[in-house]
Amino acid sequence: MIRFKKYLGLISFTALLFALVACGPQESDGDSGDSSDSSENAEETKELTVWADIDKSAGIEAAIAVFEEEHDVEIEVIEKAYAQQVEDLRLDGPAGTGPDVFTMPGDQIGTAVTEGLLKELDVSEDVQSIYTDVAMNSQIYDGKVYGLPKAVETNVLFYNKDLVSEDEVPTTLDGWYELSLELTEGENYGLLALFDQIYYANGVLSGYGGYVFGKDADGNFDPTDIGLNNEGAIEGAESIQKFYDEGLFPSGLVGEQGINVLDSLFSEGKAAAVISGPWNLGPYEEAGINYGVMKLPELANGENMSAFVGVKSYNVSTYAKNPELAEEFVEFITNEENSKTRYEITGEVPAVKALAEDPVVAESEAAQAVAQQSQFSELTPSIPEMNEVWTPADAALQTIATGKADPEEALNQAVETIEGQIEANHAGQ
Amino acid sequence: MQHRTKASLLSIIPGFGQFYNKQWVKGLVFLGFGGAFLFAFGDMLNMGYWGIFTLGTEVPRDNSVFLLAQGIIAILVTLLGLLVYYLNFRDAYKNGELRDKNRPLSSLRKQYHNLVESGYPYVVSGPSFFILVFAVIFPILFSLAVAFTNYDLYHSPPANLVDWVGFDTFAKIFTVDIWRSTFFDVLGWTVIWTLVATTLQVGLGILLAVVVNQKDIHFKRVVRTVLVLPWAVPGFVTILIFAGLFNDSFGAINNDILAFFGIDAIPWLTNAAWSKLALILMQGWLGFPYIFLVTTGVLQSIPDDLYEAATIDGASIFAKFKHITMPMILLAIAPIIITQYTFNFNNFNIIYLFNGGGPAVPGSTAGGTDILVSWIYKLTMQSSQYSLAAALTILLSVFVIGIALWQFRRTNSFKED
Repeated sequence: MIRFKKYLGLISFTALLFALVACGPQESDGDSGDSSDSSENAEETKELTVWADIDKSAGIEAAIAVFEEEHDVEIEVIEKAYAQQVEDLRLDGPAGTGPDVFTMPGDQIGTAVTEGLLKELDVSEDVQSIYTDVAMNSQIYDGKVYGLPKAVETNVLFYNKDLVSEDEVPTTLDGWYELSLELTEGENYGLLALFDQIYYANGVLSGYGGYVFGKDADGNFDPTDIGLNNEGAIEGAESIQKFYDEGLFPSGLVGEQGINVLDSLFSEGKAAAVISGPWNLGPYEEAGINYGVMKLPELANGENMSAFVGVKSYNVSTYAKNPELAEEFVEFITNEENSKTRYEITGEVPAVKALAEDPVVAESEAAQAVAQQSQFSELTPSIPEMNEVWTPADAALQTIATGKADPEEALNQAVETIEGQIEANHAGQ
Repeated sequence: MQHRTKASLLSIIPGFGQFYNKQWVKGLVFLGFGGAFLFAFGDMLNMGYWGIFTLGTEVPRDNSVFLLAQGIIAILVTLLGLLVYYLNFRDAYKNGELRDKNRPLSSLRKQYHNLVESGYPYVVSGPSFFILVFAVIFPILFSLAVAFTNYDLYHSPPANLVDWVGFDTFAKIFTVDIWRSTFFDVLGWTVIWTLVATTLQVGLGILLAVVVNQKDIHFKRVVRTVLVLPWAVPGFVTILIFAGLFNDSFGAINNDILAFFGIDAIPWLTNAAWSKLALILMQGWLGFPYIFLVTTGVLQSIPDDLYEAATIDGASIFAKFKHITMPMILLAIAPIIITQYTFNFNNFNIIYLFNGGGPAVPGSTAGGTDILVSWIYKLTMQSSQYSLAAALTILLSVFVIGIALWQFRRTNSFKED
C-alpha cells in the first residue's frame, strides 16, 4: 500500500511539472520583454564599454574624451590582449559584462559572424572608401560590413646593417640564397624565415601561383577550391626546399620553437636577415641590432613575394547595450584624424589610404616597408574553413623542410587532409 | 481506512498528513517548504524544463547553452525537492502507523531532540553535500549532455540553436574516416605512453630507493636530497627547459652530450618517434622522485628480523629482494602506482608544453605525440568541435575509470584481510 502511495505522490508531482513545461515559451517571451526593458534603461544612463589592445589604449585617450563630450556618454576602456577578446566575448557577452566595442584579428571575422557575435554595421560607401581595399575587405563577410579597420600588419624583411651593407642588400630571394651560401658558417646564417609555416611560406607559394582558397564570382572565398597543391605552389615549395637542403636554415628552426630560434639568432647578430613582422621592431632595437627594414624580396619569376595582411579592427558586439552609439563610436575612432593620432602614439600602421602619404607615416622606414609590402599582400581568408588549413599545411611544409617528403607528395597529402577536415568540421552547416 | 493510509494520501499536499496527525509545527514546516519551493523555483523549473527539452526555439532570444545549463540545474533542484517530498510522505506514514498501533506520537520537544541527535551528521554534512551537487555533479552532467548535442561552430549561440542529436556524435567518431583513424592513432599512443612512461618512472623510483637504502651506502641524506630535486622544481619550468635542451640544432643534448660520444644529432622535435622517446624519458625523470620517496618510507618499515631470518636460511640477496622487499613495497604502494598510471593517461602539461603535441602528421587532425586529452584540447580550442570533444571526454573517462577499477580490484591493498 505504502509503495502505491509513494508513487501516486511522485506521479502527481511529475504531472505538475509537465504542466509547467507546457507554458515555457510564453514565460520566456515575458523574460525577453524584461531584458529589452533593461537595455532601454541602459540607454538612459549612456555608457559604452570599449575593449582596447594591451598597451595601446593611450592612442585613443584623446579621441575618447572628445567623443564623451560630444555625445554626453561615459566610456570605460579596458585593455585586453586583442587576440583574446573574441574568446572572452563568447561568455562575457551573454553574461552582460561584455563590451560594446572591441578589437579583433581580421581573419577571425568569418568565424565570429558565423557564431553571431558581431553586429552588422551600416557604414556608407564614403566612409568605407577612406580605408585601403585590402583592410576594408577583411571586414566584409557575405557582402556585409562587420567592422572598420584600425591597423594593418604585414611581414617585412629585417636585415642587420652590420652584416649586410645597405647598398649590397639583395632584393631577390635568389640573391638572398646566394648570400646565405656565403654567410652560413658555424653559428652564422644569412636569411632566415619560418618557411615551415604556411603563414610565412604562402608568400613564396602564392608568388608562383599557389593560393589557399580561390574566390568565386562574387569575390567570396570558395572553400571547395584549394590551390595549395597546384603547379605554382609546388614550384614555390621547391624553391623553399633548397634553403633547407643546403643547410642554410638550422634544423631547429623547424616546428614550435622555430620562432624563438629565429628571433634569438637575429637578436644575437648571428643572422643577416629575417622575415618577421612589425611587432619585432621594438624587441630587435632593444637587443641592440642596427637593423634596416624593407619589403620582402622578389621571386625568380619577377613577382614580388606576397604576405598575409593582418588587420586589427574595431567591431560592435551583438550584445552591445548601446548598439547605435557603439557604431558611431567605431566610425569616429577609426576616422583619419584619430587614426593618425593613434599611429603617432602606438606606432600601429593605420589602414587609412590618405595617411600612407602623410609625412608622419612616410618618414618611418618601418611604416613605409609595411605600406609597400601591403601592395603585394593578400588577406588571410576569413572564412571559418581557414581553421582547418593551418595545421595540415604546416605539417606538409614541415615534412618538406625536414626532407622527409617531396613537395608534390606532401602538398597533395595536405590538401587531402584539409578537404577531409572541412568535410568533417564544416559539412552540413 | 487506516490512519497511515489517510495521512500518506493527505501528504500529497506537503504538511497535510502531519496536520492530520495533529503535528502542527512539523506540518507547517513541510507546507512552508513546499510553498517556498514552488514560489522560489517555479519560474526557474518552468524555463529549465522547457529549455532542456527544446534547447530554445527562437534566435537570438534563446541561448541554447544557457538553457541547457538551466535545465540541468532545474533537474538537480527537482531531485532535491523530491527528496524533501519523500521525507514528508515517510513522516506522515510513520506517525500514522504509530497511531494505528495506538502508540503516543513524539512531542514537539522530543522531535527536536531526535532531529538534533540522530540527524546531526546530516545537518553537518548538508552544506557540503549541496556544494558537491552544484560544484561537482553539475559540470559533469553538463559536459555529458553536450556530447549528445550538435554543439559546434555552426551550431553555437547566439546565431544558431543547438539541438539534441542523440548518439550521432559518438557515431561520427567511428564512422567518419578522418576522425576514426585519428582517434585510434591517438588512443594507441596514449595507451603506450601511459604504460611505458609510468612503468619507467615507477621502476626507476623503486630501484633507486632500494639501492640507496642499502646499509653500506654512505651520505644517504645527500643522495636522497639530490634524487628528490627533479620533483622539487615546478614541472612546467622543467618541461620548457627540456624543450630547449632537446632542440634539434641548438639543444645541449644533441650538441654537447651526443656530440661528445660522437653520435649524430637526433631529430628530437621533428620526428614523431624520437619525440615520443624524449617525452617518455622526460616523464621518467620527472616522475621517479615521488615513487622513490614513498618507497623509501616503505623500506624503513620492513622489519630487519625478516632479512636476518632469511640470511640464516641462506637466502641470496636477490631471493631476499624477490620474496621480502618487492612484495612489501608493492602491497604498500599499489594505490599510488595506480594513480600514477591514471595521471599519466591524462598528463596534458608535458605534451602541451614540450612541443604542443607535434610534430605534425599528414592525414591526421592530431599531432604525432598528441594524447587523447591534448587532442580534445585542440578540438575545442582550434576547431570549435565542442560536442565531439565532450563525446571523446566521455570515452576517455570510461577508459580511465575502467582501468582504475580493474587495477584496484586486483591489488591486495584493498582486500580485507
